[in-house]
Amino acid sequence: MPHINPDFADEIKKYGADDFNLCFNCGNCTAVCSLSTNDESFPREMIRYSTLGLEDEIKSSLKPWLCYYCGECSTDCPRQANPGELMMSLRRWLTAQYDWTGLSGLLYKHIGAYIGGMLVLLAGVIGFTNFSGFDREQVIHYGHLFEMLSIAGVFAAILLPNIIHMWYLTIVKPKVKPSLKVYAQSTGDLFVHMFTQKRFLGCEDTRENRTRWILHFILVLSYLSLLFTTVFLNWFSTTSKFVIWLGYFESAAIFIITTVFMSMRFRKVDTMHKHSQPSDWFFVIWLFLMGITSFAVRLLIDLNNLDSQFWMYTLHLTVLAQWALIIVPFGKWTHFLYRSFAMYFQKILELNRTVKRP
Amino acid sequence: MPENKKTFDALVVGGGIAGQEAALSLANMDYKVLLVEKELSIGGKMIQLSKVFPTLDCAACITTPKMSETARHPNIQLLLNTDIMEITKNNGLFNVNLTIQPTYVNPDLCTGCQLCEWACPVVIVDKYNNNMVGQKAISIAFSLANPKVAAIDMNHCIHCKKCEKVCEPKAIDYEMQPKNINIETKTVIIATGFNLFKGENKPQYGFKKFPNVIDAMQMDRLIAPTRPYNAVLRPSDGKVPDKIAYVLCTGSRDSSLENAIGCGAECSNNPICSQICCMYSIKQAQLLMGALPLADITIYYMDIRAFGKGYEEFFQQSKGMGVNFIKGKVAKINQKDDNSGDLILRYEDVTTGALKEANHDLVVLSVGVLPNNGITKVFTDEKLELDNQGFIKSIDELVSPSLTSIDGVFVAGTAAGPKDIPDSILSAGSAASEAASYINSTL
Repeated sequence: MPHINPDFADEIKKYGADDFNLCFNCGNCTAVCSLSTNDESFPREMIRYSTLGLEDEIKSSLKPWLCYYCGECSTDCPRQANPGELMMSLRRWLTAQYDWTGLSGLLYKHIGAYIGGMLVLLAGVIGFTNFSGFDREQVIHYGHLFEMLSIAGVFAAILLPNIIHMWYLTIVKPKVKPSLKVYAQSTGDLFVHMFTQKRFLGCEDTRENRTRWILHFILVLSYLSLLFTTVFLNWFSTTSKFVIWLGYFESAAIFIITTVFMSMRFRKVDTMHKHSQPSDWFFVIWLFLMGITSFAVRLLIDLNNLDSQFWMYTLHLTVLAQWALIIVPFGKWTHFLYRSFAMYFQKILELNRTVKRP
Repeated sequence: MPENKKTFDALVVGGGIAGQEAALSLANMDYKVLLVEKELSIGGKMIQLSKVFPTLDCAACITTPKMSETARHPNIQLLLNTDIMEITKNNGLFNVNLTIQPTYVNPDLCTGCQLCEWACPVVIVDKYNNNMVGQKAISIAFSLANPKVAAIDMNHCIHCKKCEKVCEPKAIDYEMQPKNINIETKTVIIATGFNLFKGENKPQYGFKKFPNVIDAMQMDRLIAPTRPYNAVLRPSDGKVPDKIAYVLCTGSRDSSLENAIGCGAECSNNPICSQICCMYSIKQAQLLMGALPLADITIYYMDIRAFGKGYEEFFQQSKGMGVNFIKGKVAKINQKDDNSGDLILRYEDVTTGALKEANHDLVVLSVGVLPNNGITKVFTDEKLELDNQGFIKSIDELVSPSLTSIDGVFVAGTAAGPKDIPDSILSAGSAASEAASYINSTL
C-alpha cells in the first residue's frame, strides 16, 4: 500500500512551490522538457506524486535531480502551475529528507532559524578573536586550522552519512541490487557531472543558457581551486608568487560571477531566477562574500596593512564559519554533491537495466 | 435608404447564424428589423463550414435557406458592408450612426451574372477559402453569397475598366463614396460572433512557418462541398495526406500564450474551453475517413468534451471508425529536415507517462474561440460591459442570459461566449423574445 500524506502540498509549499495543484495533467511540461526522455519522463510524474502526496515515491526518485531548471516547462504550462519551481522545491525537500540531523528542513522552512544560526557563528568568531587578543599570527593559524577541521568534520559527520542515506533511499530500498562492476563503471559520470554540470547543456541551446553554463562552470572550478589554494597551499601564509596570483584570480572570479548571478536573481531575468528563496540568496551572497573577503584579506597582507585593518580578517573568518557550518552542510551548497551523486546513481540504474535485460 | 430618419424596432448587429435567427424571430412577430453586417454577405462563420456535428448535415444546406429568408423578409432591412459608428441612448430610443462602405457596384442594379469577374485581370486571395485559392478583384464574395452582388476590392483594382465594359446593367460606379446614415431603434441585439484564434500566436506549433500546419477552418474548407481543389491536398507539395494529426486546445485552455516569444499585443491568455473544437475535430476526422479512406487520423487531446445531445455517441462513433485518440497536449511541432515537409509532434502520452515523438504529413490546429468585442466602442454614453474573457457580459447569466449591462441591448450567440450552432440559435431566440417583451413592456 502506498503511503499518502494529505498535507504534502502544504509542506512542499514551505519549500517554495507554487500552486502546482492547478495542474490538469496535459503533459505539456514533460513534452516540452529538453531533458526528459522516454525512459525518464518528468516533471508531470513528480507533479502527480506531489498532488497525491506520495512521499515515498518522491524520496526514492532521482528525477528531481535530473531537472536542471531550464524553465521551459513553467513558461509553457497552460495552467501556470509552475512545474519548474515544484521540481526545485522537491530538490530542497529531498535535501532535507537526506539530512539525518533534520537541520536542513528547519533552515529551509524557518528563515529565523537560518539568521539565528548565522548570528551565533558571528558571536562565536568575535568571541574567539577577542579571546585570542587579536593576535594576527595566532588567529590566522587557528583560522586555517578551523578551515581544515570543519571541512573534514562536516564531510565525515554530515555529508557522507547523507549521501549514504540518499543511496539507501534511491538504490537499496527500491531493491535495485546493482553489481560492483556497475558501480565501478558508473564512477566516471560522478566526476564528469560534479565538475562540469554537463547535463545543463541539454537545455534549449540559447545564448543565455550557454553563458549561464560557462559562468557556472568557471564558478565551480574557481570555488574548488580556491578551497584547495587556501587549505592545502595555505594562501594567506604562502610566499609563492604563483600561489598568491592563483588565489587572486580564483577569488576574483568568484565574486565577479556571483555578482552576475545576484543581478540575474534580482532582475528576475528568466524563469529560474524569478522565484528566489532565502536559501538561494544566502548561498549566492555568502559565496560572493567568501570571494571578496578572501581577496581583500590577501590584498591587505600584500600591502602590509592587515594589522591595522584586522576587522577584515574577522569578517572573512565569520563568513567562512557561516559558510562551512551552515550553508555547506545544511544549505544550498549540498546540491553540488547530491546532483553529481544523483547522476552517478542514475547511471547505475541505467547500466543495471541494460545488464539485467535479457 | 431614404434620407429622413427611419425608426426600427430592433437593430441586429451581425448577420451570422445568431443574427439571422434573432432578426427572423422578431420579423415574424411583425417587428421592423434592421440587420447590419460588416461583410459583403450575410452567413457568418457557418456558411464557410463543411458539415455540422453531430448529424453531419451539410452546413450550407441548413444555413442558405435561412439566409434567403432573412434577405427577402419584408420586415427585415439588410445593410451590408456597413460599419456602426456610434450608438447613443436618447429618451429610451437608441440613436445609431452608420456608414455604408462603398462596394463600387450598385447593388440595386447588379444581377450577379459574374461577367465582370471573368473580365477582371487582377487575382487576389480568396478570404472565404482562407487564402488557399484566388479570386478576382471584382467578384461576388463567394458562391453562396446572399445578396449575390459583386464588389470591387479598391486596394487591388487597377482601374482598367474592363468590368465596366462588360457590365450590361451599368452597375459599376468607381466614384461611389461612403454613405453616412442615421436611424433610431428601440432595441439593439448584439450578434457579432467570435474570432478564431490565430495559429501564429502559438509559435510552438509553427503555423505559417511550416506549410503543412494548417488550422481547422482551412481544413473545413478543404472538405466542404464548395471546396477549392475538389480534393484534400496538403499545402507544401499538393500531396494527398495520409497521416493527419489534430492538435486540440490550440489557443484554448491555455494560460501560457502571453509567455510566447514574439507574442504581440493582441495575444492574451485564454484559460477557458472553446466548447466547439473537440466536436468539429471529430466531425472533420469522420469526414476525412470518408474522403481519404487510407489516411490515419490522430486526435491529440487533453479531455474530450462531448457534452451536447448526441455528441458522446458521435465521439464513440469516430473511435469505432478508426480515429486514433491520444491523451496528451502537443508541446512542440517541428518540420523534418529531409525536405519531405513532414512534421514531428512532441507530446507525453499521459495514459502511459511515455514521452513520444510522432510523424505526420499534415497537422490541423483545432483553434479556439476568441471574443469579437469591437462593438463595445460604439456605445459612447453607456458602457457595454465585458466579462473576464472579453465576451459581452450577461448580467443575469442563469435567468436571463441575453440581458447586457445596457437596458434595451441584448446579446445573442457567441458574442456572449463560446457556443456551438444549436446553442447559438437558442440564444438568438432567447434574445429576440427578450427584445420583443422589452419593446412591448417599456415603450
